[in-house]
Amino acid sequence: MFKLNLKIALRNLWKNGGITSINVGGLAIALAAFILVMMYVTYETTFDKGNPNYDNIYIVGRTMPEFKTNYTPPPLGKAIKQNFPEVMAVGTLKKGGFEFAISSDANTAFASNYLMVDYEAAKMLQLLPNEELAKPANEEGILFFLAKESMMTLFPKKKDDKPELVTLGSKAAGQTAEVKGTISVNKHSNVTFDALSVRKELGKNENYGYNNYNTYIQVKSGTDIAALEQKINTLYKNELIKDGQDVSTDRYKQTTIFLDPLKNQHLKPMAGNNAAYKVLIALSVLAMLILLIACINFTNLSIAQATKRAKEVGVKKVLGVYRYQLTFQFLTEILMQCVVATILGLLIAELLMPKFNALFNVSLSIWSANNALLYQLPLILLAITFIAGIYPAMVLSGFKPSLVLKGNFQTSRNTYWLRNSLLIVQFSVAVIFITSLLIISTQLKYMRTQDVGFNANQVVYIKNIMMFSDPRVFEPVRQKIMRIPGIKSVTVATGIPDGSENGSNGYTVNGVEASIDFLDVDFDYFETLDIKLADGRFFNKAFKTDTANSAIINESAAAKYGLTDPIGKTIRGCSMDYKIVGVVKDFKAQGFETPVQPTLYSIKNPCGNAKTQLMLKIDQDQMSEAIATLKAQWPDINKMDGDNFRYYFLNDLYGKLFQKQEQLQSVFFAAALLTIFIATLGLFAFAKYMTNNRMKEIAVRKVLGASDVQILKLLNSSFFAMVIIANCISWPLAYVLTKKWLETFAYRIDIPVLPFLISAAVTILLTVLTVSIQAAKAVKANPVNALKYE
Amino acid sequence: MIALKDIEKYYASKGVKSYILRHVSTVINQGEFVSIMGPSGAGKSTLLNIIGMLEEPTYGEYKFMDEDVISLSERKRIELYRNHIGFVFQAYHLIDEMTVAENIEAPLLYKKVGGSERKSRVADMLDRFNMVGKKDLFPSQLSGGQQQLVGIARALAAQPSIILADEPTGNLQSAQALQIMELFKKLNKEDGITIIQVTHSEVNAAYGSRILHLLDGVIKEDVRL
Ligand SMILES: Nc1ncnc2c1ncn2[C@@H]1O[C@H](COP(=O)(O)OP(=O)(O)OP(=O)(O)O)[C@@H](O)[C@H]1O
Ligand SMILES: [Mg+2]
Repeated sequence: MFKLNLKIALRNLWKNGGITSINVGGLAIALAAFILVMMYVTYETTFDKGNPNYDNIYIVGRTMPEFKTNYTPPPLGKAIKQNFPEVMAVGTLKKGGFEFAISSDANTAFASNYLMVDYEAAKMLQLLPNEELAKPANEEGILFFLAKESMMTLFPKKKDDKPELVTLGSKAAGQTAEVKGTISVNKHSNVTFDALSVRKELGKNENYGYNNYNTYIQVKSGTDIAALEQKINTLYKNELIKDGQDVSTDRYKQTTIFLDPLKNQHLKPMAGNNAAYKVLIALSVLAMLILLIACINFTNLSIAQATKRAKEVGVKKVLGVYRYQLTFQFLTEILMQCVVATILGLLIAELLMPKFNALFNVSLSIWSANNALLYQLPLILLAITFIAGIYPAMVLSGFKPSLVLKGNFQTSRNTYWLRNSLLIVQFSVAVIFITSLLIISTQLKYMRTQDVGFNANQVVYIKNIMMFSDPRVFEPVRQKIMRIPGIKSVTVATGIPDGSENGSNGYTVNGVEASIDFLDVDFDYFETLDIKLADGRFFNKAFKTDTANSAIINESAAAKYGLTDPIGKTIRGCSMDYKIVGVVKDFKAQGFETPVQPTLYSIKNPCGNAKTQLMLKIDQDQMSEAIATLKAQWPDINKMDGDNFRYYFLNDLYGKLFQKQEQLQSVFFAAALLTIFIATLGLFAFAKYMTNNRMKEIAVRKVLGASDVQILKLLNSSFFAMVIIANCISWPLAYVLTKKWLETFAYRIDIPVLPFLISAAVTILLTVLTVSIQAAKAVKANPVNALKYE
Repeated sequence: MIALKDIEKYYASKGVKSYILRHVSTVINQGEFVSIMGPSGAGKSTLLNIIGMLEEPTYGEYKFMDEDVISLSERKRIELYRNHIGFVFQAYHLIDEMTVAENIEAPLLYKKVGGSERKSRVADMLDRFNMVGKKDLFPSQLSGGQQQLVGIARALAAQPSIILADEPTGNLQSAQALQIMELFKKLNKEDGITIIQVTHSEVNAAYGSRILHLLDGVIKEDVRL
């Protein structure tokens, strides 16, 4: 019997070949999207999952009054280990902080993500070199490892595992070190690095003031984490007193310890934001919606075809077939189509994989071993078969033979509402995606075209670790650079406008104290970036006081202190009395999401970091020659860090701020395209079916004298109504969703009307077109042919 | 074989009951060839459907081979379909996606008849109805009369004890109709199969052994020929 059912199924699918392939094709495309997203979700949620103690590792962090941080002092870890037996291991880590060069005789590689760990951390977090990690013998022993790529660069011919000698930093400084070996870096981990050093102990002589380490603990299974957190908190406070730290401040009183599980570190760390997590959820929802739409196509078409199959059901029932057998038969038919769709979906996913990987900056592969897809895919297959098939199977198998066999049986009335609602759902989702896509694009266009208050074009940023905090040290460097033709200005600062955050501190003007940002600059900073002056003047070498105590503030700072005439006022902070010599217009150094912070710019700042970030304004026409000359002369210009000239264009760096939004735009573009495509496919097949069904009615109407246009109108009207309803449902939803998204920007557009109108136009046009193509056939057909049958 | 007692059937719409069948009582024995006649809308199809258990009466008792049909479970009813009842329809109702041979074979599959037995019975039927050359054609490739022959062959393949036929010749020319009637008569005489048919034609009814005249849901006449 199964064989016969199979035969019937195949003949049926064959006969309705067009509809079947549309159905299966749409589902395959949706499945491809779903597979990609699911692989990505699996990847993102399983960081460090390979660690055997995955569930028992926590990072120790501190909750401060304004923020949470994972930075802890090194003695804390040791105290935890000594006091709490439930803590099995404590690992301490420290990040290198700056990029440095590693050179062999042959080549130079750069370590931009240097990590220092103690032996226990290396063990706990599985930072294991290719050969067995030996415990460093003595206190001073440092085991230095390099990632494979760097090692290949430095020693291209290396075959053995023997240690090698390298120079660290500038060759002139001549600091050598021994590389113990290569280490494979697990990109699928929260702890990544390109160079790693392992010591017996880290931060040995540092006290509780050195909050620049990370502390990981591994607890025994079943430990009460909340209680342990409390105990560590108490311990921390006591230790601070013992250590002689100032415990009278509010800052101390409000600081508490938290434990954050390793499994949350990648997506939703306590110290940090959960944006990645939200993106992941949004993506999953998108993928599920697309799959749902494809399933709806299936359901819809299966029900639409019910009339054809009704007779088969009726006959089989009077021949003695149970209902469950029929249900099973129809489910099997749908399962067969779903299997084909899944295989096609896998192929499509494979084709799209490179694009997807590039967009999300991952390197996923379908064919990798121990792929979670292995068990996910059969589950999805069953799920979609069930979702898409259960309703039609129930409807079909439930037909009463006495009704069906009467002859003039019509299913359409029973399932009219369901089918129409399903179509409306499909179009609603499509409208939401189109509208959102258009609004996202409008905001992005706004961000790209809006005046950001400074000009990043033709500004070149040069990587450097040499400190140029003192303008007198920098002046000779500037002069050498300025001699190169095409260079218009040169400056150095503690930061560049690429979205990076500035330091903040309390400053007082006229007795008003406020916490504002500060940035340390050199002469020509504002000129290089083409920032507009609102009042007063820029820094100028002609004024001796500018290197001593002059300050420039931005308009936001002036507003924050309520200054109407800031020039000449004294602003006090960081044990300095600055005199305000200028006010600059606000510029969006941090991008569009956060508002421009009130900021103080000064040349001298005892509280600031070292000025290392060089920026050059170069004439566009002489750009390539100027850069070539710079490169050639760099060792001479920057004596201490001149071995390696590396530069970036500032507009590229600033453009990275838009990356996340551009990613979102791409995702919505794909989602909108997919839903429209799949929904239109469904509509196409559905319209085809409906028209075929109404052939006789159309013929009768034509014989009665209806014009072609009247018939086209008749066939279009119900679909037209559905699209209108779908638009009405989706507009408010799209409005709320995009409004929420826009609210994450400090600088944003008002929601425009056009996207709503466009998505309405697009969906209406597509519908009318799709339906009319089908309807035209019916209209053109000779009524005699349709009436001859029966 | 069939005992109907006080069968009533009505549809209630907007509180008004419209009766289709009223006080229908009759007994049909094994081996009878009964024709149900009457004007259009009299309730003939409804009565046949009730006999075939495709519809349930609103009231009344119905015993099929001494079993109370009203309280019959679906499982039991399907057993009866498989083993005792064969249906023949005015619109043939062959399964379009099955070939002639497959259509005839279908009920045997559901009855779980063994493979070789099935083959021989199908071959037998094809032979009997002169359809051997057409066994791999699909229903749409046959004439109406041929389709109805396949319909009857399908009903007979399961070796039923009763055949229920609703206007089996309604769509056929009289020559073909007579051929079908001859066949029914032969099946009734030679194989002892009980036949109940609905027909509008006096000529067709004359092939049977008994006529039930139905008018407005009431049996007006019960004529034995
Ligand atoms: N589902 C229903 N709801 C209401 N009335 C119904 C329904 N089904 C049938 N009827 C009515 O029952 C009556 C009898 O129908 P039936 O099909 O038994 O007639 P018939 O004698 O077979 O007629 P014909 O010779 O035209 O086939 C008809 O008047 C019909 O309108
Ligand atoms: Mg009838």
